[in-house]
Amino acid sequence: MKILLVDDEVELVSAMAERLGYRGLDADWAENGEDALKMAGETDYAVAVLDMKMPRMGGLELQEKLVARHPGMRFIFLSGHGSEADFKAGRAAGCNYLIKPIQLEDLVDMIREVAGEDAQ
Amino acid sequence: MNQSEAASREGLQFFGRVSASVSHEIKNVFAVINEAAGLIGDLTTMAERGMPIKPERLKRASDAIQGQIRRGDAIVKNMNAFAHSTDEDVREVNLGEILQLTLALTTRLADMKQIRLIAGHCEPVSLKANPFDLMRLLHSSIAAALDSLSAGDSLVVGVEPAGHGASFSLSAPGKDAPLANDEAFSALARSMGAAVSVDEASGTSLLRLRAAGTR
Repeated sequence: MKILLVDDEVELVSAMAERLGYRGLDADWAENGEDALKMAGETDYAVAVLDMKMPRMGGLELQEKLVARHPGMRFIFLSGHGSEADFKAGRAAGCNYLIKPIQLEDLVDMIREVAGEDAQ
Repeated sequence: MNQSEAASREGLQFFGRVSASVSHEIKNVFAVINEAAGLIGDLTTMAERGMPIKPERLKRASDAIQGQIRRGDAIVKNMNAFAHSTDEDVREVNLGEILQLTLALTTRLADMKQIRLIAGHCEPVSLKANPFDLMRLLHSSIAAALDSLSAGDSLVVGVEPAGHGASFSLSAPGKDAPLANDEAFSALARSMGAAVSVDEASGTSLLRLRAAGTR
């Protein structure tokens, strides 16, 4: 299973990809939506993890473009905003998102969950 | 809501917008530190299991943390200076310093639009003014100018003395004057005792201010 991480904070997204690798998840990363679209055209990603706020193309716009081209792809959003109540309400409404700074194990569990794998 | 209440409300909204932007930047700083520290933890765990650690990998993670602490410190210093702009109603204000601070607090907005924000020609100038209102006006002028530009453009903002007051200049190389025909911003500037003029030949918009208490 391949994962695509997209965030304009390069030090964050590169470290996150490396750490997911240590947990057996093969992750590539991009620092903007344009690069992510190109990469998704060349590699079959099961899950994309998208920062909500990025220059020019935010996470929601990128998701629309990715899902139009790759209907099977699943999504998780990262956000710097929001309270714990927002997070719970979002999860209850079916959105997969985590508030930064995240616990990597939460992301690992969520990736496996949205990809249809056993979280254990 | 009367005029005074409306002005107070708009000031509060400006304070809220800047605070929200700063808090988002600080969250990002924490997020990068969190991943870099987590990576050091992962590498340590692997070393405990007998896997060799490349020293340069540890150094890169440690450098990332130190870099983010410097970034966070600059963000908090700017926020502190901004918060203290409400300390006095009117005081002698160094306009070059106010411009630098406003640019720093507006950079994220420009980054989101992929527009480069540049401090242009700044002559030493100070005048009696309300620093908070001045920053609100300057921030609004930059935000309005950014709205008229496209990704890849640059916005250059400078300041110089003009008569009994001062003049901020806004220009975007290769583009028309950024605030030309922006009636909404012109109205805001008038309501705050400033005036907008446009020099079509140089593609520069000028925001002219008078010292508080002068005509």
